[in-house]
Amino acid sequence: MSHDVKCHDLEFHDVTVAYGRRPVLWNIDLSIDGPGLFGVIGPNGAGKSTLVKAALGLVPLVGGHIRLFGRPLEQVRPRIGYVPQRETVDWDFPVSAVEVVLMGTYARLGWFRRPGAAQRTLARECLDRVGLGEIADRQIGRLSGGQQQRVFLARALAQQADLYFLDEPMAGVDARSQDQIFRVLSELRADGKLVVVVHHDLRTAGEWFDSVALIDMRLVAAGPTATVLTQVNLRRTYAGHLDVLDELGRAVEQRGRTP
Amino acid sequence: MASLVSEFGAMHAWAIATAAVVSAGCALVGTLLVVRRMSLVGDAISHAVLPGIVVAVLAGGRPGGVLVLVGAVAAGLLTVWLTQLLSTQGGLAEDAGTGVVFTTLFALGVVIVTAAASRIDLDPTCVLYGVLELVPFDTVEIVSVNVPRAMLTATVVFLLLASAAWLTWKTQVLTAFDPDAARAVGVPVGFVTTGLMAATALATVASFEAVGAILVVAMLVVPASAAELLVHRLHHMAFVAIALAVAGAVIGYMAAWYFNTSAAGMMAVVLGFEYLVAAVLAPDDGILSRLARRMWLAWRVLCEDRLAAIWRAEEAAAIQPAHATASVVSATPNMTQVPPSRFSQRLALTWLAFSGRVAAVDGGWKLSAQGREEAGVIVRSHRLWEAWLGRHADIPLDHLHPPAEWVEHHLGAAVRNRIEAEVGQQGSDPHGRTIPPESEGKGEGEE
Repeated sequence: MSHDVKCHDLEFHDVTVAYGRRPVLWNIDLSIDGPGLFGVIGPNGAGKSTLVKAALGLVPLVGGHIRLFGRPLEQVRPRIGYVPQRETVDWDFPVSAVEVVLMGTYARLGWFRRPGAAQRTLARECLDRVGLGEIADRQIGRLSGGQQQRVFLARALAQQADLYFLDEPMAGVDARSQDQIFRVLSELRADGKLVVVVHHDLRTAGEWFDSVALIDMRLVAAGPTATVLTQVNLRRTYAGHLDVLDELGRAVEQRGRTP
Repeated sequence: MASLVSEFGAMHAWAIATAAVVSAGCALVGTLLVVRRMSLVGDAISHAVLPGIVVAVLAGGRPGGVLVLVGAVAAGLLTVWLTQLLSTQGGLAEDAGTGVVFTTLFALGVVIVTAAASRIDLDPTCVLYGVLELVPFDTVEIVSVNVPRAMLTATVVFLLLASAAWLTWKTQVLTAFDPDAARAVGVPVGFVTTGLMAATALATVASFEAVGAILVVAMLVVPASAAELLVHRLHHMAFVAIALAVAGAVIGYMAAWYFNTSAAGMMAVVLGFEYLVAAVLAPDDGILSRLARRMWLAWRVLCEDRLAAIWRAEEAAAIQPAHATASVVSATPNMTQVPPSRFSQRLALTWLAFSGRVAAVDGGWKLSAQGREEAGVIVRSHRLWEAWLGRHADIPLDHLHPPAEWVEHHLGAAVRNRIEAEVGQQGSDPHGRTIPPESEGKGEGEE
């Protein structure tokens, strides 16, 4: 075992995450370095979104720690961009597409400064980049699913981050939007950014990502796509669902309830 | 204006002004509550502030004073905190928890205020229903003008709420729209929400004297809900909600005076009426505009079906001249859905004739050049869709017609040409009938 002194762009060290008392991710050790597109792949309920939420501080860790650019999250928040799952927000909310993108600039504005002309210009540029410049002023409920997803991506672009997390950006999205999203992600890679994408479609995973991690409540394998996406690894991830982890998780939860 | 003022008198003017200001404050806070789907929490807080007020008064605070405001905010936050405690520790559903907490606290307030009625300057009836009519009689002098105490409190609270909204609007909006993303960029979401709850408690307690604990819910929820129907931007919504609330206060008070009934009650009734009008007349989502859109579509489909029917009859006559004598009007080829009534067909044909698309010829109808072009587009859409479905779906030949009969009215030129490129320029549908070519002019029936 060689001890790596170099600090990674994103590093999970023995991370365990639980909802309530029930662990859903066990002892994840994972180091990722940019630039590149990194896929987090696994079956439903494998904890892919949880992994991303843990890195963003949205769910508490039971054990281990996470470092971004070698530092704790609080010190590097402005360098992190996030695209949540589309279903997590109410798309009937009374805002226009460009107003949603504008939200990406809020973090840098601090508490009381209001967005000005510079922020508005940036927001429009980001919408142009995802091909939605023409419908900037439309209410978000009137956009298609693919367009909504691209609005979310544009908001992340407006954050001007160095490390991006995207949770299922291709789910329920039309082919044209998928192409557009993939093109923008490739541009981010070319700009030297690290992009971590939660993804469920194995067919496209092979061609899109430089590296992947296969997870199913624990890390099954991680590394360059070509060497990781093998029959053996996929079977271990998808077919070899470990009931033991499920059972154990339930047992831990039960113990918490009964005195 | 002068006659109006003299008729109502300065007393009434003060009462109306107070009602308008408290309503505006409630509407502003209510806008955020409504878009966050937290109307019920607003309801809870508005009731639960009662024990806070009562305790503050018992401790020597005066209605509308700072001590009472603080007591109310504390009680409001206690409600939210207790509800969360019940849900996280007791496993109670959040709505049930809210119901348990606020009713208990409210009842506690009622019990104390009734028991201590003789000792404190707080009347239970006034607390429940408000006494807007009496507001002008309790005044303080400011620069030699006698201003009602309630008006003074309401104005201070409104200015406080408006400046807080102005300063933190973007954070409130981000938190309301996407709490996860807000948390990810470091917004203390819990703190922002607590701020909104405190604002709700403030708006509520400022309204207590005017409208009482029960009807203040209407001021919080109804104007914002009506505004949500009318406009589609959050800041527009806030302004419209405030305007509706002020209108409700003014109209409600005058109507109550006219009918000699409760002012607060009438204000809430007027707000309900405003909501009803918004629901009916809203430009995009209103009942009327939706009805109009449906009827316009039905009419378009009716006219297009007539045009296509005549087109098909002419096509049949051209192929087999022997059948040319068949009545053209009755040519409704294998319609499977309920055919439109004779009257509406007649109406559609009359319109088509009037607009120069068809012309009457000895008992039947004949297409004009314009009518033929438009009908061709519809038949083309129909047959292209049949060809596409026939190729891509395992559907028996006789099942192709009904979907095409519906799709023909919605297929745009771009999709038509794409389908044609895909199924090949074979020029005929699965039934072997010719697919008319795309016309040079712009086709009708496109979205």
